[in-house]
Amino acid sequence: MSTGSKAGKDQTPVTAHAAEIVREYGPLAGEASVGGVTHDGHRVWAATRDGLIAFDPVSGETTRTLACAGDAGTAFDGTHLYQITEARIDKIDPVTGTVVASIPAPGNGSDSGLTWAEGSLWVGQYRDRKIRQIDPATGAVLRTIESNRFVTGVTWVDGELWHGTWEGDESELRRINPESGAVLERLEMPRGTGVSGLESDGGDLFYCGGGGSGKVRAVRRPKAAARA
Amino acid sequence: MDSLIAASARALAAGDALGALKRVALRDDPPALALRGIAMAQLGEHSRARELLRRAARGFGAHEELARARCLVAEAEVALAMRDLGGSPRSLAAAAATLDAHADHGNALQARLIAARKFLLLGRLDEAAATLAPLDARGLAPSLAAVAELTAAELALRSLRTGAAQAALARAHEAAERARVPALLAEVAEARAALSRPAARRRSAGGEETLRLDEVEALLGSDALVVDACRRGVGAGDAWRPLARRPVLFALARGLAEAWPGDVDREALIAYAFNTRHPDETLRARLRVEVGRLRALVAPLTGIEATARGFVLKPHGGREVAVLAPPIDGDQASLLALLSDGAAWSTSALALALGASQRTVQRALAELEAAGRVRAIGRARAQRWLSPPLTGFTTILLLPAALPIE
Repeated sequence: MSTGSKAGKDQTPVTAHAAEIVREYGPLAGEASVGGVTHDGHRVWAATRDGLIAFDPVSGETTRTLACAGDAGTAFDGTHLYQITEARIDKIDPVTGTVVASIPAPGNGSDSGLTWAEGSLWVGQYRDRKIRQIDPATGAVLRTIESNRFVTGVTWVDGELWHGTWEGDESELRRINPESGAVLERLEMPRGTGVSGLESDGGDLFYCGGGGSGKVRAVRRPKAAARA
Repeated sequence: MDSLIAASARALAAGDALGALKRVALRDDPPALALRGIAMAQLGEHSRARELLRRAARGFGAHEELARARCLVAEAEVALAMRDLGGSPRSLAAAAATLDAHADHGNALQARLIAARKFLLLGRLDEAAATLAPLDARGLAPSLAAVAELTAAELALRSLRTGAAQAALARAHEAAERARVPALLAEVAEARAALSRPAARRRSAGGEETLRLDEVEALLGSDALVVDACRRGVGAGDAWRPLARRPVLFALARGLAEAWPGDVDREALIAYAFNTRHPDETLRARLRVEVGRLRALVAPLTGIEATARGFVLKPHGGREVAVLAPPIDGDQASLLALLSDGAAWSTSALALALGASQRTVQRALAELEAAGRVRAIGRARAQRWLSPPLTGFTTILLLPAALPIE
């Protein structure tokens, strides 16, 4: 496990702001621990031990359940869902729930956090504190970004790369420089509120998986203009 | 957590320890070590499990103290199953406090249950009671509730409160049924069976009858003057005069009680209490002295009067007199009866109480230990003897509740 080369990333410390939690959904199902979240333009999908659960973010009603185990991150490319399970990434037809393809996960099972952007999949490697850009067809690693925190969720929105982190009681949403990994912005979640899975809705909301709480939380994305 | 950790935890929760192990077998990061340790414990590989859990606890960072505390609790549970009672109660208490601070009350309760069971196994009943008393088993996972009630039952039995023990066992049974753990149900059934087995005999001049534990409790709670050859003492109602360290006085009391309401002649008392068939003048003088000592000790309970040929018990207020004896005769039965209070006894204290030589007691203890009916803790001069717990405490590892991951 890589632990080196973290020092120096925080050389210009960024002040953390408190994350504004807009709404909480769930607990979703029986003993659902949320491992990943994604957004398909209408619905929010949450990966749980018992399957993928889609709910309407307005009503909070569960609208669809797919019986495929979700151990970690989830993504949506406009047509298919991607789901990290054990040490692979399954490509899933969201209508039928059929797995249409599988590629090996780059972290060989130490993966957590997944998003789709610009033709690539971006995968978080939890305790390795890394984000990998991979080819969604072959799984080949195209790029590696190093963070200095455990990576528990990844998302792209408006050209910004955000990742969720969760170590012990502390969790944050962080915007990082996709080239250097330098931290540009920090949204601090309340203590003990874990972040497992992160996805933007393309607008001004993030959806965060709540780990063992079985909840999904909507967090407001700060407006670019409001930033110092 | 990452995907293989989640998959491994998913397998473990479904009871597939080998499947859980397979997914993280080659990984050495702390969550993987913890899962491997728990899987190994469920497969019965206790010492390997302990080592893995220790490494996992060490591996978690300072900011991951919740995960570390859960590993400590799991490790303590494995140590308890191994009957290694050497760990410090302080680190377990600290782990429980950490878990409480993070609102993980289930695992905090489990940590305190482990501590209480450890105290019970060490014969430190007061500390066990103090640890157990503030715990609230309601609203808990059924398997944890069952263990909490079993522990309370054990403690109640040791202090001969059979009503409380029976109530706790009924609750344990109900919780074990909800938990659907066959091993837990078997433990409860075993503990209930112990309650209906003969626990002692009541002997008197008229003959003898066997008593169950609740009948013993009833007799001790009655107004009768009881000479208790199980716990070695004399009691009536709430009053209790321990004579475990005064074997001669106890023998005199027992001899007098067995003959009651008749008297016992001096020769018989001398033969019985001093273990000789050749009474002489010095022994008669000694008998007078010892009877005087006994009379002073038990004066609030009963009088001892001289008769033409010897002595007779004259209990106050027309009380009845009863002798409680171990359910069967012999050195071993007497030892077991003494140990049944759950406290830790030294060999010398046992020898003193039974009026036997240390050599005799050691021989009897060795035979009982080989049969699994007594346990020794400590070494050499610090060695102490205990009866095995009435409830098993052995088979149940509640480890899944202690998963170090969210």
